[in-house]
Amino acid sequence: MPKNMHYAILEAIQGEMRRDKHLTLLYEYQRPSAGWKGRAIDLEAEFGRPRVQFCAIDEQWIVGAALGMAMTGVPAIAHIPSMATFIPFELMFNHAGKLRHMTGGQAAFPMVLWADMATRAPFQGGQHADAGLESAYARLAGLKVVIPSTPYDAKGLMISAIRDVDPVVFCHYPMPADGPEVPDEPYTVPIGEAAVRTEGSDITLVGYAPQTAEIAKAVEELKKEGIRAEFIDPRTLAPLDSVMPTILASVKKTGRLLTADEGSYTFCNAAEIVARVAEALPGVKIKRLAFPDAPAPGAPEMIQHMRVDAARIAAAARKLVRGSG
Amino acid sequence: MTHPFTPRAAPVGTRSGPVVRVSRRSFIRRSGLLGLGAAVLGHGARLALAQHGKTWSDQLSAEELIGMYRDMLKIRLWETKIKDLMVQGGFRGVAHLYVGEEAIAVGVCRALRKDDYIASTHRGHGHLIAKGGDMARMLAEITHKATGYCKGYGGSLHITDVRLGILGMNGIVGASHLFAAGAAYGIKVRGTDQVAVSFGGDGSLQNSFFTSAANAAAVWKLPWIAVIENNGYQIWVRTSDVCSPVDLARRAEGFGIEGRVVDGNDVLAVYNVARYAVDKARGGAGPTVIECKTYRWYDHYGVAGARFGVEGALGLWYRSNRELRDWMAKDPIARFQRFLESEGVLAAGQAERIRTEVAKAVEDAAAWAAAQPVPQPEDGLRNVFAHGAVPLRNV
Repeated sequence: MPKNMHYAILEAIQGEMRRDKHLTLLYEYQRPSAGWKGRAIDLEAEFGRPRVQFCAIDEQWIVGAALGMAMTGVPAIAHIPSMATFIPFELMFNHAGKLRHMTGGQAAFPMVLWADMATRAPFQGGQHADAGLESAYARLAGLKVVIPSTPYDAKGLMISAIRDVDPVVFCHYPMPADGPEVPDEPYTVPIGEAAVRTEGSDITLVGYAPQTAEIAKAVEELKKEGIRAEFIDPRTLAPLDSVMPTILASVKKTGRLLTADEGSYTFCNAAEIVARVAEALPGVKIKRLAFPDAPAPGAPEMIQHMRVDAARIAAAARKLVRGSG
Repeated sequence: MTHPFTPRAAPVGTRSGPVVRVSRRSFIRRSGLLGLGAAVLGHGARLALAQHGKTWSDQLSAEELIGMYRDMLKIRLWETKIKDLMVQGGFRGVAHLYVGEEAIAVGVCRALRKDDYIASTHRGHGHLIAKGGDMARMLAEITHKATGYCKGYGGSLHITDVRLGILGMNGIVGASHLFAAGAAYGIKVRGTDQVAVSFGGDGSLQNSFFTSAANAAAVWKLPWIAVIENNGYQIWVRTSDVCSPVDLARRAEGFGIEGRVVDGNDVLAVYNVARYAVDKARGGAGPTVIECKTYRWYDHYGVAGARFGVEGALGLWYRSNRELRDWMAKDPIARFQRFLESEGVLAAGQAERIRTEVAKAVEDAAAWAAAQPVPQPEDGLRNVFAHGAVPLRNV
């Protein structure tokens, strides 16, 4: 049993807090503690207040304080829950992303917005199942947006995010403990580097958390049928420029692009990837799967009908490769 | 016509309530009470001065007082120059003029150390000058020149010098409070004795940035001071028409924060209350909200109603000329000058000499700024991130 995502993230932060005596974590209710194989991380017990601070239900404070600290040289992590994704949006949009530019390079925000993200889970309904909001942050100038899909990437990307002098939105979807084992030691996964999860030559599948689990299943299913899919997880959504070469090289090889996104169809992040591929490689076959432009219903019958899953990805891939599902 | 927040008589019960009106005279009268409060709060060492009939402004040397006078004049004449340039036309920029409110920036910043932080507003030129900003580089910035403070990226609304502890002028109303409170939290993390001051207008208490800042500052006793520059108008609407009719500083009470109201056109009164709040914050006794009643002589932004060589913007649709004249008669600089002359701090003719010197410095700044190069067009693609440039997308 490998370390899970939560443990991997806390291990990253723990190492960085030991490295930098000012690094501060503000959070709301998700206590920064976790156990694994008899080992335990408890950041509050280890570092105490004010460096690890349980705050009021006030995402504006948590993020605003992180920005005020970061601008005065105290690096900070602001952890917010998944239903509050947009409460600090104004701060990230008009301040974190702009002040370096507005001040001619004087201001810096070494901060991480650790945003828990909602999945398309049943029995939630609307406000607690609205996945895909990372695309809104990825659209903002001056922000970096990372979206790990494995515990290994989560730890490495969190360390990169903390060490980055620019503000980083760390989108944390709860993903299964798959992928490579997470070393105890600190290591980085560079921001702006896509991962080729599976190599193939018939079709390029692009998707990030939380769709990666469904895509991985679809890849296995397609393999049994003789379709070799190449699966790319961009891991970084902004700036997208540095991950595009990997995607473009793959689509150039396969001639086909299928994207799967848990977010709503219009303006989902995959839409941007599709646009860039279409612009760079005219004539390739493209299909985009996503959630409809609707709130997520709570009843399982409804939401299952609407979301993207492995079977639908496989069907769309078959259609692109063979001309029929 | 009077200002909608013309100071009234002190409310009954101020002894028990945290809101205290402070003018220079009443401050001296109340200083004994403050000294007692200081002992209770455990930060009496500095406050003890007040127990012996001396206020903080009494401790200022003649040189310091003249420095304050000079700073106020710098703001006045620098901004008046901007106004005249704008009236003349062809000005490469915009401006929200601060003229009329100079006593607040100077009174507050004089109470600060160089390593203290301030977070400013869209009407923030005065704060920057009072914190030590360079008038020439400021003028270059508001005309978007390559050698301006922000290399031409920011302009009037966003001039800043991070090295002076200025967290930026900020065009989003109220954000200054949150930024300064965040900086104050960072001070707590680092364990220094700095303080962080946010300036904000009367409108800056309306959205929730202030609320988030005040709650956290109160509960963790952060070294945060919010200075509310109540000039009576939120853009073009009277604050008394859109806000419940209480002193804005009273809103601090709900968070358990001491709120104080002061005549914002009295630089020494502002200094005294700021010094009280700063010493309290440095001593670990937490935040203060200071409401300064004042008035802006020009329009919300730009120069509507303004004329070359004439002070004040007349004929604005949302306020009367008499109201403006009433407040111009309470000019904080003329008032301070009269006081300094009556005290013998300024000798006969000295004020005029200082004015001439400052006016020359402003003209020199303007001449320097006018001769500065404009930025390279492709620089707009830089400084998005710490490294590199973003690609151009229109080709």
